[in-house]
Amino acid sequence: MKSKLLKGLGAVAVVAGTALTLAACSNGSSGKDVKITILQGKVESNKQFKQIAKEYEKSHPNVKIEVTSIGGGTQYDPVLKTRISSGNAPTIFSLAGPADVKQFKSHAADLSDTKAAKDAQRGTLDEVKSDGKTYGLPFNVEGYGFVYNKKVFEKAGIDPKSLTTYAKLDAAVKKMDAEKGKLGIKGVFALPGKEAWVLSDHLLNLYLGQDFDGNAQKLYNSKTMAFSKNEEMKQMIDLQSKYSIKPVMQMDYAAQVNQNFSQGKAAMIQQGDWIYPTVAQVDSKFAKNDIGMIPIPVKGEENKLPVGTSLFWAVNKQKSSAEQKAAKDFLDWMYTSKAGKKDVVNTLHFVPAYKGYGNVKMPDPLTQVVYDYSKDNKTTGWAFPGYTGTPWDPNVAQPNLQKYLSGDQSWDKTVSNMKSGWKTQQEGNGSGD
Amino acid sequence: MKNRSLSFWLFLTPTLVALALVVFIPMLEGLFYSFTNWDGLSFTKMVGFKNYIELLHDKAFGNAFWFTVAFVVVTVILLNVIGLGLALLVTQKFKGSSFLRAVFFMPNMIGGLILGFIWQFIFSQGFDALGSALHVTWLQNWLTNESTGFWGLVIVTVWQMSGYIMIIYIAYLQNIPNEVIEAAEIDGASAWQRFTRITFPMIAPAFTVCMFLTLSNGFKIYDQNLSLTNGGPYNSTQMLAMDIVNTAYNANNFALAEAKAIIFFLIVAAISLVQVFYNRKREVDL
Repeated sequence: MKSKLLKGLGAVAVVAGTALTLAACSNGSSGKDVKITILQGKVESNKQFKQIAKEYEKSHPNVKIEVTSIGGGTQYDPVLKTRISSGNAPTIFSLAGPADVKQFKSHAADLSDTKAAKDAQRGTLDEVKSDGKTYGLPFNVEGYGFVYNKKVFEKAGIDPKSLTTYAKLDAAVKKMDAEKGKLGIKGVFALPGKEAWVLSDHLLNLYLGQDFDGNAQKLYNSKTMAFSKNEEMKQMIDLQSKYSIKPVMQMDYAAQVNQNFSQGKAAMIQQGDWIYPTVAQVDSKFAKNDIGMIPIPVKGEENKLPVGTSLFWAVNKQKSSAEQKAAKDFLDWMYTSKAGKKDVVNTLHFVPAYKGYGNVKMPDPLTQVVYDYSKDNKTTGWAFPGYTGTPWDPNVAQPNLQKYLSGDQSWDKTVSNMKSGWKTQQEGNGSGD
Repeated sequence: MKNRSLSFWLFLTPTLVALALVVFIPMLEGLFYSFTNWDGLSFTKMVGFKNYIELLHDKAFGNAFWFTVAFVVVTVILLNVIGLGLALLVTQKFKGSSFLRAVFFMPNMIGGLILGFIWQFIFSQGFDALGSALHVTWLQNWLTNESTGFWGLVIVTVWQMSGYIMIIYIAYLQNIPNEVIEAAEIDGASAWQRFTRITFPMIAPAFTVCMFLTLSNGFKIYDQNLSLTNGGPYNSTQMLAMDIVNTAYNANNFALAEAKAIIFFLIVAAISLVQVFYNRKREVDL
């Protein structure tokens, strides 16, 4: 046992020694080796980012890139904070909107002078602009609406593109509900009552965002919340909940997307283009040929799709200038070079948030919808990042909306709780800093 | 205690250092942060008792507190009754008693997270299917409201932990000298009398241990809570530990979470100390 241990130690020492000499050698020869570390929050693209990093290393031999991905939005911030406070801060990290910008400002460099920032599409940088500086670069743009099952709509004789108003949607939903058996579905919708964010982030954005011109910064800085379109939101929740597969409060994201929609049990679900890989995993043929997406009909914003950015790249300004420059070069390469552009669309399946992509063909039907709507400027506000990073979202909006959905609270009370909760939070913010 | 020689400190120091590094220092640090506006990265100023005052008005914390207290009361009673019952059962001399011990202990071998997910499936899919087949509505929609969510948590916890509590009771039950029981039998004591007058007082130390374990465990539960209900619907089944984690990580309010954690620690410590003190008094020495 002892000899084995010693042998092991010896081996480690030898390897470490060799590595050190090698490192010293390569340092000596090229002189300007840079290592950049990336910590990002889109775990579903982990493999793809690593692949792109490797490609970049090939054409830029003096740069080493290490990619780490953290899953599921909410868990990202604590990991980043831990890494920063333990002195192991990444060179490139991701930000999710104004609240994150405020928190990590002391670590985020101004990226206004990068090529990517200059090429960014109009409006995509609004959320990360503060005191005249640009603290982030958009990953991509995303969009959401009603993802529908083409076959069911065909059988029911309804053209999904015609559902541009609430009244038309209402009529179509009732018709499909009456013919459930014939259409082979369990319900028109599959509303995941367990996933509070489906209502609080995406649906709420459509009705709340209008008061703020769909601008996340404006919403984030507002002391009050008028929520003037709340009656229309109630209508939409009621419709989805009434004609959903039951029990609504027991349904989570997996049940909504994997078990119900992907297996053809629901005619449509309120989701975005990010569900494509999941649907394709369950049934790739169905995903490729039989799904589409339409905007959720909102009065005054007919036939417009909410399109925006959920994540931004930031560069750590407390790193050495060589490291910062390498990081910026990498981001510029990824979004503005010819090879990088190809990867963004084909490897990452991203709808580009930057100009100069020409008439690209997106690799799947959902991102194609998002791309088409954003190309034609038929988009509507993306204000919810203005509240998703604040305590109001998990503590006030989500529980209150769930309470209404499960029938334990009136809509009026829900709305007034949400408004007063926002007021309290914003007042606290003002005095707290 | 008099034997404080060099070797005494030599052996104690590593443990003390480890304890200080992972328990005492972080705790003091936490106490300090609870008086600041720390956001997990840095703080800009001391805020005094602001976090503690805010905590008093925090409805979510209040709800979580009472929910946890109710949960602890129910599980402490159930776990000890069932644990002792199982222990009495498997210490009887019959075939298969050791097999049963293993069976009862088994759930404890599964991690709380996995267990929660398994039971979530049973409650939501199994109960649902059973309910619709038998046309019993109360079996459906389990875990979607506060009261059934509460009982769901109780069932899972009791199911998991009673085997563990049973093992402790068994150890103490087997320590009771046979002569005492035999003497009582010869004196004509009935089985019930033997249990209440001899067994029960003799295993009083086991109550101290088991009550402490179930009590502190009940307060600290997080994994089952996370995997079974995740605090839902609308945070109504959120327990104290989860509320603290969510305050820090979801709502990004690390300083307030620290204040909550300090209060949480004081409550659990106080209740546990009182419980151990009272149970100790009831213990008898041979």
